[in-house]
This record gives sequence, C-alpha cells and structure tokens, in this order.
Amino acid sequence: MADFLSQYSIQRWLEMCPQGYLEDTVYGHAEGGSEPPELLDNEVLLESSIATTVQLIAGERCALAASSGLVNLAPDFASKRFLATQTLDEARHVEIFTQRLFDLGVAKEDLESTVDRYANPNLVRFAEILLEKVSDGDFIAGVVGQNIVLEGMAFTVFELLEATSRDLNPKFAQTLSGTIADERRHVGFGENRIGSLISEHPEKRGEIERMQQEMSYYMLATFADVFSDSGESVEEGRRVANDLAAERGGDPGDAAWHGADLGSASVEEIEGVLADTVLGEFRSRLGRIGIEYQSPSVPA
Amino acid sequence: MTSTQLGAAGSEGLDSEEPHGLDETAFYREVRSFSFWFEAVEGYLEGRPHGYVPSTPDEELDPRRRERLITTLCNYCVGEAAALEGASGMVRLAPNHNSRIFMATQVADEARHLEVFLHRLGELGVTDPELEVRRRAHPSIVAFKHQLLELVDAGDWDAAVFALNVLLETLEFTVFRHHARTADVITSQILDGVVSDERRHLGFGENTLGHHLVGHPTDRTRLIEIKGHLDSLVMGALDGAYGDLGLHRGERPKLGRDYLQAVERLGILS
Repeated sequence: MADFLSQYSIQRWLEMCPQGYLEDTVYGHAEGGSEPPELLDNEVLLESSIATTVQLIAGERCALAASSGLVNLAPDFASKRFLATQTLDEARHVEIFTQRLFDLGVAKEDLESTVDRYANPNLVRFAEILLEKVSDGDFIAGVVGQNIVLEGMAFTVFELLEATSRDLNPKFAQTLSGTIADERRHVGFGENRIGSLISEHPEKRGEIERMQQEMSYYMLATFADVFSDSGESVEEGRRVANDLAAERGGDPGDAAWHGADLGSASVEEIEGVLADTVLGEFRSRLGRIGIEYQSPSVPA
Repeated sequence: MTSTQLGAAGSEGLDSEEPHGLDETAFYREVRSFSFWFEAVEGYLEGRPHGYVPSTPDEELDPRRRERLITTLCNYCVGEAAALEGASGMVRLAPNHNSRIFMATQVADEARHLEVFLHRLGELGVTDPELEVRRRAHPSIVAFKHQLLELVDAGDWDAAVFALNVLLETLEFTVFRHHARTADVITSQILDGVVSDERRHLGFGENTLGHHLVGHPTDRTRLIEIKGHLDSLVMGALDGAYGDLGLHRGERPKLGRDYLQAVERLGILS
C-alpha cells in the first residue's frame, strides 16, 4: 500500500497538476480564452450553458464537502495527504465553474440565486446521500460514494461535454480537460485504496451496494430531467455548428462519443449512451474493489 | 500558471497588478482563490521537492542531536496533523465559498507540511514514522489537537479559526522560525517554506476574525476564554519544544513571550 500511495503524494500532485497540465492556465484555460460570441448572443444556448454549469457547480460543491470531510476519517497519513490534494482539486473545480458562470454573464450577486434556480433536485439528493455517509464518519462508504460513484459520473459527463465543446467552445473544452485529468486520479485512488479496506471489512458490502444503487437512481433521474429539457438547445447547437462550419467552408466534422454520433443522435440516444457508459464504469470499477454492482430502478 | 488579471477591478492610482488595489469584495475573491495560492507557493516550492533544494548536502548529525531532531519533527507532525484535520473539517463550516476555497488551499498546505516532515524523518533513519510520531508526541500538543477538533466537530467556525489560524499557527510560526535559525541546512530550508505558508494562514485568521469582531464585539469575550483555556496547552507544547530543541534555560521564556506577543500583535483580542 505504501508504494501505491507514494504516487498520490502532495509532491507528486504539485509536479503533475499546478506544475504540469495547469501550467499557463487561468481558471483552467489558456489566458485570453473566452466563451464564443455564438453562444453568448444566443438566448437558448446561453440559458442551456448556464443550467449545465450550475449542475457542475452543485456536483463540485458536494465533492469539496465530501473530500474535506474524508481527510479526518482517513485511517493513515498517506490517505489524508491524498485527500488533501483532492480537496484542493475540488475547490479549484468549484472556482473554475463558478468563474464560467460569471463569464456567461451571471452577476456575482446573483450567483446563489442562479444555483438555487437551476440546480437539479435529483442531483441535490444524490449529493445528500453521499454527504450523509461522510457525516456519519463512514470512511469506506464515503470514498466509494465520492471517488467511485460521484467521480465516475463526473468523469464521464465531463468527457461528453468536452467532446461536444471541442469545436464550438475550445475554452470550455480545455477547462474540462483539466478536470478530467483530476477526476482520473481521484477514481484511481478510490479503486486502489478501498479494495484492501473492503476485504478487511466485508460486512460493509451490503450497505455500500445499497448506497451505490440509491445514488445511481438519482443520477439517472438527473440525466432524465436534464435531457428531457435539452431538445431545443441541442438542435440549436447543431444549427450554430453547421452555420459556423459553412462560414469556414467545411463541415461540422464527426463528434463521436462511445459510438454515438453527437452531430445527429437523438437526445434520447445520447442520454442512453451516457447512462450506459456511466453504469458500465460503475460495474467494472466496483467489481475491482469487490463490490457487486446493483442495478438501480429506472426513474419514471 | 500565469499572473491573474487584476487590472479591471483595481482602484485608480494604485498598482492595478497588486491585490491591494482591489475593492474589498474583489480582494477577498482574489486572495482566497486557487490561482493566488498557487502563485504564492510557486515561488518558494519550485525546484524544492520535499521542501529543500535537492543538491543541498545533508549534515552529519551527532546521535544526540539527531535524536532531538527526530522528537522535534515528530511533534511538528502532530501539530500539522491537527492543522490538516482541523482545516479539512472547517471547509464545510466556512460561511462563504471564498473562505471555503481558502481553507481547501490550507488543507493542501498542511498536508504538504506533514509530508515534508515525515519525509525528513525517513531521511533521518526512522523506518515507521507514524509509529514514531505516536511514541514521541508530547501530551500537550495531543491535547491541543483534541480541543481544536472538538471545536470543529461542534461546528464553531469562529472558535475553530481562532484556535487553528491564530493560536496554533502562531505557535508554529514562532517555534519554526526560531528553529530554522539553528537547524541543519536541510531542516532549515524545509522550515522556511513552512513558515511562508503559516504567514498566509495567519493573515486569513486575523482578517476573518477582525472583520467578524467588528460586527460582533461581544464574541471577543468568548475568544478570550478559549485562549485562556488553550494557552496552558500551548505553553505545555512550548515546554516540550524547549527540551527537544536543546534550548538553554535563559532562552526559554523568550519563545513563550514571542508567542504571546505575536498573538497580541494580531490585535484581535485587544
């Protein structure tokens, strides 16, 4: 364990992140990067971007609260130190996504009311289930909920958003790339550290499986809510991408993600691919730590 | 990372690249951000893995001095573990997102301190640093840690900021600065980097409580009571540090006085 944890030290984190892929960035993107005018001047795309960004902030606020709470619960110094880097990563994510809201024109004094207005209630419930475990002092369930379920979801959602933003919004795509790199590290820690703890405490399995099932249910309910409202903005985004490509004398290109053509797939298809991808990730990652994946019921 | 762009919010006549040129809200947003933290630490951590320049030759310490240094570093680890656990618990208590983000940077700082001290213990030949820390910990610093975490667990933000960012940080600032003057070169470099962080943490504590007490002057009495209670533990911890550092009797009261004066200078309780 000691050798594996040496890869998660503060020293390594400093070299990989601030002195690595975050070098020469401001709020996670290249200095001078900005949201594209085609988005800022388009009412439908702007509102959709604000709503999406609020979900990211809500998720990252939960991750910040959970990871900081887990520092105290960690059974050894090396895990505490890793979770300290994760706490700072999550705070950075809160900061950069909050800054994106400001870049989208949300006034600073309207930040909290905007978050309250757009935060999906199912995502809030998802977060509450995790934070209850942390508040109860349950380190193993907390790390599984945080570093495998929450981070696994965030990782996949960020990948999808990055794929859809790459051409139209390179600034946001770069911001997401940095967070994806962070999340990959967090998921890796969860898998590596928790496997041995689960085998030491097999009695925890049932409770953790129930937590995963419940969190998965609220995650799917969040996806269902978000995608059911996104038809107009997806179509508008495609129209703008086509117009831009025509102006540049080319075609909008193939944005493929996990087999789905993001330029033509229906909203339902994209939601299905996202849900299948996240749940597939859960299944394989949980299997690696000795937890049996539980299928959630499908939200109405 | 590049310099942050401060110009737009700067007041006329002040250097627009300096945080002090910002209005109060923009100032707090700036100095409590990840970017500000990184720019602050970059200067003194760049090229110093584990807190010191790798080419620095390690002095040969005589066995007695080495033993003392191990005990001292073990007790520093208790203090840093207290700060790490305290700061991480305080992230959720923070009253706003700027403070929450600042506390997250402090969590990483405290974890780095713990890491560099543990690493130094390893270099000094300690094979199981966690066990050694438990063996050599002075009761006073352990008791201080329990008291601090009780305040955090009780959700008492103001008292926790006072105990951690004022009292513990001042204690560490005073002892580390003193020790850096007499330590071997590598330990001295490590301590200099840690002291630079403590200065930032102290600034946050002073600023946060200073503003709070302006609006809630009656809370001062409660903080004075907490100080009265914790001072005996701080003095006990200092007593332990005297012996570990091998201070002569004549020097001992000076460190305690330095601590009390440092707290006094913050002006929070006067």
